Amino acid sequence: MQVRSLILELFDEALEASDSKLECEKLEDETVLLNSGLDSLGFAILVARLEEELGFDPFVEMEEAVYPTTFGEFVAIYENRSSKD
Amino acid sequence: MSSVLVTGGTRGLGLAISKRLAASGYNVIVVGRKCSPDCEKWLAETENASFEAFDLADTKSIHEFSQRITRKYGRLYGLVNNAALGLDGVLATMHETDISKVLRVNVEAPILLTKYLLRPMLINRKGRVINISSIIGSTGFKGLAVYGATKAAMNGFTKSLSREVGKAGITVNSVAPGYMATDMTEGLEGEKLQSIKRRSPLGQLAHVDDVAGMVNYLMSDEAKMITGTVMTVDAGSTA
Repeated sequence: MQVRSLILELFDEALEASDSKLECEKLEDETVLLNSGLDSLGFAILVARLEEELGFDPFVEMEEAVYPTTFGEFVAIYENRSSKD
Repeated sequence: MSSVLVTGGTRGLGLAISKRLAASGYNVIVVGRKCSPDCEKWLAETENASFEAFDLADTKSIHEFSQRITRKYGRLYGLVNNAALGLDGVLATMHETDISKVLRVNVEAPILLTKYLLRPMLINRKGRVINISSIIGSTGFKGLAVYGATKAAMNGFTKSLSREVGKAGITVNSVAPGYMATDMTEGLEGEKLQSIKRRSPLGQLAHVDDVAGMVNYLMSDEAKMITGTVMTVDAGSTA
């Protein structure tokens, strides 16, 4: 399964799990994560589910703290890490 | 069967907690540097408990250890942060490496372990985090400045984290035991211990089983409306 489509699927799951709704038309690369409708706890659920599915957490592996601001940046972090497997 | 993990579960209070939780039907994962003879004997006769070797001072490996636990046992329901170093000594002469080690094992390690083992609880939208603190965290005790600082830290951690994850159906509480007769308090001189006993309203020391009972209660469904608090079990010493 493509990383991007997995993220999209789990994003919806995390929205539901945190009783939130998507607050934009649809998720695009330019979408600012803070405006997506998913709160910080929802993001924690998303990262946790992605780790369950993919077996890694790219943020833990980074030497420096990185906090992506857009959905595109978030996806790129996972795609880059995934390509190393 | 819900899985719960108890750090420092091979002896003293941790072993009493592990036994109590297993008796309640939880699948107990006992974590420690090495298994004690007492713990081995108990594990041999207990189906729903197992041992996992890990040294919490190795904070760099906590993420990997947490992943291994989740893969092997599934999503965890409860975590008991019980492992701690009870190093005592006058602050002015305590070596910096010892100060660092106490801070690392008593504060940084449980925070990191909670960070990672909280994730399965967030996904499940239910869970329990129980931090073993100490009355020393609020009363203080000569020779235990660093230890006391770490226990106060755990209480602060409990309060903020409870606010963070309450919405996800996870409770976070501290249990603060008073003086108990365990390996950790062995260094307390006889007279000191006698005076603690004399001064407590109940005229004795709390036993590890009394504290284990409180942990078992907080782990249960009955305690679902209790979060962000410090439960003191000290035979009334701090009354």
